[in-house]
Amino acid sequence: MNSRSGTALFLVVIISVIVVSVASSQDKFKLKPGAKGKICLNCHPAFAETLKRRFVHTPVKAGDCSDCHNPHTSSHGKLLAEDPNKICFSCHDGIVPDGAKSAHIVAEEGNCVKCHDPHASNNKFNLTVSGNDLCFECHKSLAESVSGNKFKHSPVEKGCLSCHSPHASSEAVALLKTGVSSLCTKCHKTDRKTFARNHGNYPVAKTVCTSCHNPHGSSVAGILWDNVHPPLAKQMCNQCHLPSSSPDALKTKRVGYELCRGCHNDMVNDTFRKDRIHWPLVDKTACLHCHSPHASKEAGLLKEPIIIVCGACHADTIERQEKSLTKHEPITEGNCTECHSPHSSDQNFLFDSKNVIDLCGNCHDWQRHSSHPIGEKIKDKRNENLSLGCVSCHRSHGTEFKHFMHYSEKSDVCVQCHIEQKR
Amino acid sequence: MPKAVKCILLFAAVIPVAVASHAAEIVKLKPMVSLYADAKGEGLKTPEGIGCDDKSRLVVADTGNGRLLEYTYNGETWTPGPAINLPQLPYPIRVQLNTRGEIYALDGKLRKIARLGPKGNFQRYVEGSGASAPHVPRSFKIDTSDNILILDILTENVLVLEPSGKVIKEIPFPKEYGFISDLAVDAVGNVFLVDSVKKVVYSAPENSKEFSLLTEKLEEDLDFPVSITTDDSGRIYLVDQNGGGIVILGRDGSYQGRQLKMGWKEGFLRYPSQICINKKGEVFIADRENSRIQVFSIAK
Repeated sequence: MNSRSGTALFLVVIISVIVVSVASSQDKFKLKPGAKGKICLNCHPAFAETLKRRFVHTPVKAGDCSDCHNPHTSSHGKLLAEDPNKICFSCHDGIVPDGAKSAHIVAEEGNCVKCHDPHASNNKFNLTVSGNDLCFECHKSLAESVSGNKFKHSPVEKGCLSCHSPHASSEAVALLKTGVSSLCTKCHKTDRKTFARNHGNYPVAKTVCTSCHNPHGSSVAGILWDNVHPPLAKQMCNQCHLPSSSPDALKTKRVGYELCRGCHNDMVNDTFRKDRIHWPLVDKTACLHCHSPHASKEAGLLKEPIIIVCGACHADTIERQEKSLTKHEPITEGNCTECHSPHSSDQNFLFDSKNVIDLCGNCHDWQRHSSHPIGEKIKDKRNENLSLGCVSCHRSHGTEFKHFMHYSEKSDVCVQCHIEQKR
Repeated sequence: MPKAVKCILLFAAVIPVAVASHAAEIVKLKPMVSLYADAKGEGLKTPEGIGCDDKSRLVVADTGNGRLLEYTYNGETWTPGPAINLPQLPYPIRVQLNTRGEIYALDGKLRKIARLGPKGNFQRYVEGSGASAPHVPRSFKIDTSDNILILDILTENVLVLEPSGKVIKEIPFPKEYGFISDLAVDAVGNVFLVDSVKKVVYSAPENSKEFSLLTEKLEEDLDFPVSITTDDSGRIYLVDQNGGGIVILGRDGSYQGRQLKMGWKEGFLRYPSQICINKKGEVFIADRENSRIQVFSIAK
């Protein structure tokens, strides 16, 4: 067989396979000739209006309703042929690539209809709403801050997709198309004199711009985050960093908390006077475990809302509240410092108060009602070294039982000490 | 010999070995006694540290009372000795004993390791002469040669000091660790680190210059591990402070079980903070929020 006839035979085989597979898919429900798609409209006439929209999903356009729906029976709503969170992936596989550095949770969960109309839409890509308004349907707080900003960032006005990928990013966190500095420097030319001057001649071209700037715009000049560390606001970078002319200009003058102590001496001394230090404060990263050194959207230059900052290390404690039948309000509100002193304390658990009963009493007015005897003079019958207090019966971050109790039944709690009453 | 008989003999020989080796892996902690008070009857207050030796000598960091307490075992009971109150050690949180009976204690407030004589007299702070930078000890351990291993969270190194205090080795922390709370060194010199945040154990074999992961994330088994030690067989014991339990691993990091639960009664723990095991298989746990020391034996 020569090569030409071989190629012809190969093409015949391929075309036959395609024809057979197409025919078999059409024949899946043995539809009458020409009935494909049109037969559904007999009962769903209003759907004809949907088909008039500018962008129609390919299988819908082809009348292949049975690609996604089973006309007879289904275990899923809307007679879908598959799990609604998986069905799109049967054609659109790889929307979230393996090893992606970040992924949009709706895409990851297959909740595609959150953004796309599966049939047709007047918006490109069958989006339910066009432009930033679609994103702002979920990202409401961002929408509010963007609309209130005095200084706008033009890419935000053009569209979220200027910087973000909608489904996943193989390159960077937060669905960014590339890393922060390479993304920013596409527009902001770092070799210009104004750039150098505005950054105190420090070599910041390859640093993380969002350490100081709010990429979504701001009401602070230079689109800095709302809360700016005073040395940065005054462009006194050399208060913490080596001089801009130094080969290691971005290096800090001191390591750990010693750097911050230069200005926050009283606070550091007060912290060290206490018996118990929060250990991360004295390691190499020190204050920067929780605080941003330049600027932040959070008060006190916290890197994130405090419950996220604390939860980064104490995930087990935060999770306990999530699993708990009864919620403790300060934790729900993310206000860890209501009970804990984050730098240091003379008490275990870095409690803010010497007496746990007083600490709980700040919110719970048990003192005004009758209560089981508690206090330092009331000994715990289980252990003579302990006195009875709130935590004798409750666990403040919650348990799997009601009212943070350690046991499922109240009687189980009582008979811990009142053994004679046990039945 | 017929083939069938050979097979039966082979099975008879192999099965007991297999059963025995499996049984040897199952370790249980059996409650022996709990220690609540000093010689005058004054109660312990949130003790966090515990050091033990092979002669059934025990030194407790009675943290809430700002002192050390020694206990000795006479074959029947644990007897408390006089309290050790030192201005140089106002808030002891970790304790270790060396082979010469000297006491080492980390002070949580001063963040210094105090070296005391066998009778509790203050000698000096362990400074680490020859270290490349100042250090902040989060914890420390003493090996069988009385070398002092310091978990230095400022320089992110394990410093190995001769008994004289001279630094002989620095092993850098593993990359991308969460927060390392404690270290252990076994009888042959393998060093282990416990990461409280990532819930993993790292190991550096003897003479190694770096740590590598020994375990996968023990997410399901640990809430917040804060203390680590090994027994005479090389098993690894992790104190799960927030979960009120002890997790046991094989020397290869394999999970071998979880012992004890959170509670008040003896045999239960509330926020335990340090563990010590001697060659006799006695296990001592500083049961912090129960303000007591619990002694267990290892039952196999």
